[in-house]
Amino acid sequence: MNRRFVNLLLYAVIVVMILPMAVLLLWAFAREWPWPHLFPTGFSVRGWVHLLNPATGALPVLFYSVLLSSVVTFLTVTFSLPAARALAFCEFRGKQAIEIFVLSPMVIPTTAIAMGIHVNFIRLGLADTFWGVVLSHLLPCLPYGIKILTGVFGALGDRIEQQARVMGAGRMKTYIYVTLPLISPGLVTAGIMAFVVSFSQYFLTFIIGGGRVVTFSLLLFPFIQGGDRHLSAVFSLAFIATVLLWVFALEALVRRWVKKGQYFYM
Amino acid sequence: MNGERLRPYFMLAPVMLVQAWLIFTGIYTALEQSLGHFPAAGLNGYSLKFYIAVLKNPDFLRSLVFSFYVAFVSSALAVILGIFLAVLLIHSPRREGLSNYLYRLPIIVPHTIAVLLVLNILSNSGLMPRLLYALGMPGAENAFPGMVFDRAGIGVILTYLWKGTPFATFMVYTILKNSNPGLFEAALNLGASKWKAFFYVVLPLLKPAIIPSFLFLFAYAFGSWEVPYLIGPTYPRALPVLAYTFYVSPELSARPYAMAVNMVMMAVSFILIYIYSRQTARAGW
Repeated sequence: MNRRFVNLLLYAVIVVMILPMAVLLLWAFAREWPWPHLFPTGFSVRGWVHLLNPATGALPVLFYSVLLSSVVTFLTVTFSLPAARALAFCEFRGKQAIEIFVLSPMVIPTTAIAMGIHVNFIRLGLADTFWGVVLSHLLPCLPYGIKILTGVFGALGDRIEQQARVMGAGRMKTYIYVTLPLISPGLVTAGIMAFVVSFSQYFLTFIIGGGRVVTFSLLLFPFIQGGDRHLSAVFSLAFIATVLLWVFALEALVRRWVKKGQYFYM
Repeated sequence: MNGERLRPYFMLAPVMLVQAWLIFTGIYTALEQSLGHFPAAGLNGYSLKFYIAVLKNPDFLRSLVFSFYVAFVSSALAVILGIFLAVLLIHSPRREGLSNYLYRLPIIVPHTIAVLLVLNILSNSGLMPRLLYALGMPGAENAFPGMVFDRAGIGVILTYLWKGTPFATFMVYTILKNSNPGLFEAALNLGASKWKAFFYVVLPLLKPAIIPSFLFLFAYAFGSWEVPYLIGPTYPRALPVLAYTFYVSPELSARPYAMAVNMVMMAVSFILIYIYSRQTARAGW
């Protein structure tokens, strides 16, 4: 194929991907954008004031959401680590069935299952609580953590760990000083996916949280539904910026932790 | 020795317990209430009458067809576009940077924001009608009334496409990158046309990427509530929206209908899981 043609097509796709983001940015600073103007006719920061104004309580909700999704991320990674290891390195009876079972929430509709979980959580007193929402978020997040970490363990193999064991390191020591630093890039990827899935979750939070547990996704939704383009653009950008900041923070944190130990980081 | 053999089960136990608890209680409660056992609403005993009522309801059948149609079209298009883009990408000199970028953006942007992006471009006052008007098409604001909230579900499909295509592209691209380009050349040398070589050599190689991404995207589009609720038509409603409408009905007696619709959605997802597991067993991946 002609190289120039290939590049042209690819750039066209990238424009389709980016153009909506550019329009979002314009809306976030538009006072009004009447038909049929191609650009907004007035400049405004009304939405940003709304976002930062302590009276509206949007910022505390944002921090609360980050906390909730960080807890979900931590639990997802902690639970996924041993499971992914077993799936990557061990052969055992029923392995295929177990693997399909733990990955199945990727395919089972959360909407359908959420209502049943909700009824059950009401009985247990978990509905409308922080921990109830955290638990329900584990359902869509765990499969991502397991899938990503299984891939990482599989690609890495267990030869380096075995070397450490042969040279006399205990199981715990090998795990902390060899395994975790080696798979740290995979930990970051799994953490990012878990955080994004939890932070984006609307329906589960809405049903299980019952309006008592309010996350940023819940604040954003009515703006999009109600058609306030300016406010929804501002809150959407705040959403995306928060995710990006969190990702950078996680990457920096893990890199520092790995460097501090002076491991044979590759 | 025995302890060694049980080790993988212990390592998987925490995840399995959490998943099993959530999945089984979710399904069990839905099943129980869909069969009409719901003491809080004064409903006792088990029967299939709610399933029969739901399956006979023309609104439900239209919702089922609509959800199937939206899920099938959006995921099939996403996969076809994904194959096309992955092939383009492999020929591009700047593919590493591009693939990283293409893949990451829609992961960070959730479906609710993707809906907003589609609205900003295609709704009556979106950028697209404005551009057409600027290019000299009078009445362009009325040319797009049917793009969103329409019965053809174009807005819903485009939202899923925007989110799903990069995912399918990445899946296909990963396999293309790690497969031997010599196979394609060999087919050409042996006299196959470019298209034939693509269909009989490259496409079968890509099957491990195509089938899981199609199933995953289909399942998501079929079972997700946010997108059709925000940008879908008011009639027919997508299945999750229909179930939700029954669920939040002030009359508790509508609850079994909600759960019956949920059970139908779950049955479809079990079929998808079955297809996936058969594929996995056959191909060994």
